[in-house]
Amino acid sequence: MVDVDVLVVGAGPAGAVSAWHAKQAAPGLDVVLLERDRAVGSPVRCAEGVGDAGLREFANPDGADWAARKITKVIFQAPDDTEVVVAERGVGWVLDRTRFDAHLAAEAAAAGAQVLVGAEATGMSHNGLEDDRWHVRVKERGQDTEYRARVVIGADGVETMVGRWAGLDTRVPARDMESCAQYVLQGIECDPDAIYLQFSEAIAPGGYAWIFPKAVGVANVGLGLVALKTDGRNAHQYLDAWVGRRFPAAARTGYTVGGVIVHTTIKKTYADGVMVAGDAAHMINPLSGGGITNAMKAGRLAGKTAAAAICAGDTSERRLAAYHHAWMELLGEDHLKYYRIKQALESVDDEFFNKLARTVNKIPQEKRSIGRIFAHALIRHPQLIPVAARFFV
Amino acid sequence: MRRVTPDTIAAVDLAVCDRCGLCLPLCPPEAIHLELNVLTVDDATCTGCEKCVAPCPVGALAMVAYG
Repeated sequence: MVDVDVLVVGAGPAGAVSAWHAKQAAPGLDVVLLERDRAVGSPVRCAEGVGDAGLREFANPDGADWAARKITKVIFQAPDDTEVVVAERGVGWVLDRTRFDAHLAAEAAAAGAQVLVGAEATGMSHNGLEDDRWHVRVKERGQDTEYRARVVIGADGVETMVGRWAGLDTRVPARDMESCAQYVLQGIECDPDAIYLQFSEAIAPGGYAWIFPKAVGVANVGLGLVALKTDGRNAHQYLDAWVGRRFPAAARTGYTVGGVIVHTTIKKTYADGVMVAGDAAHMINPLSGGGITNAMKAGRLAGKTAAAAICAGDTSERRLAAYHHAWMELLGEDHLKYYRIKQALESVDDEFFNKLARTVNKIPQEKRSIGRIFAHALIRHPQLIPVAARFFV
Repeated sequence: MRRVTPDTIAAVDLAVCDRCGLCLPLCPPEAIHLELNVLTVDDATCTGCEKCVAPCPVGALAMVAYG
């Protein structure tokens, strides 16, 4: 039996930042960060795109080895291939997640947290009569170890076992699950300073297809779709069809699949001695599917809340509810609004996007912004107005 | 306890499964588990609802006769 104060399950962005900020807030606490896989950051299940401002709250990308490519343009592609270029200052970055996740774990370690790789939590139980701690079973290279923790932070991604073990409802309706598949392609022609997003029922029904450059001629090329809207093929088959048509000569040097939960934050992200953060708590922007910055922000809140609760001698769910409220105020309420917009967009068809692209292209490029595009969408599609009113008011 | 015994239940082809975990939160009775890099469907808990089948990005889940 190993006694710790904070046990973080999962060393992705949410978990690493949780451990880092818990230890930073209370250096006297024992903080352990568990990674199931043999290396932090691998395998990558991510398109690796992240916004500039959110990223900078946690790490400086300028010249960093974990920043693969700076992005200055977003190119929206309509179903008929009409392109709308939106250039904004400091749009974002395409990361090298293998290195980035390791960088964040190193920050946690530098703060004094212990990082364990190849260590998988396989279950946990709570005996309220005996003590007020969680007993977490951990498998490390075939050896079972029991950790006794005052607070467990579940940052275990889409499958979110910690949440399940703590009795939280972490299930997702099928319409709010994007099934994704992605290749790393080499030798392709695309603007290496731009990310491309294509909307089309034929290519990625209910989602979109993307090209995120990692270097000149190299990009993550993938798509996410909602299975309920497909013709019966799976995400891998849709991707093969699209890539085969668009980049027939490219070398496929990497492949990944995974789920992106485009839902809203789970109703309850905490229990006695437990918080869940990041994908595990469905803290993903339901419009973009982006989750890295959300996960880090949630991790920071969870780590600080855990440290303060332990120092105060109260890790009850009544105390940890502060984490949930802080998250909802920071981003969770916004996600509820984005989710309503997502639902409204589900009713528009390919022809809408084609017309919108042609209308928006009449705006001079220097005046184009995501906000203006949205405003044009409203003129073309008045049924979005009530939704937008809720969004902007 | 499920009230009706299903005719078919979900089964995973581990040679195809990529262990991405997408199907776990889709399962209403939480019958799917991923532990030590192996995905399993609990026969006794699966209700045969098929919600996990189509979303699998690689088509690793299929319905099979129960029993």
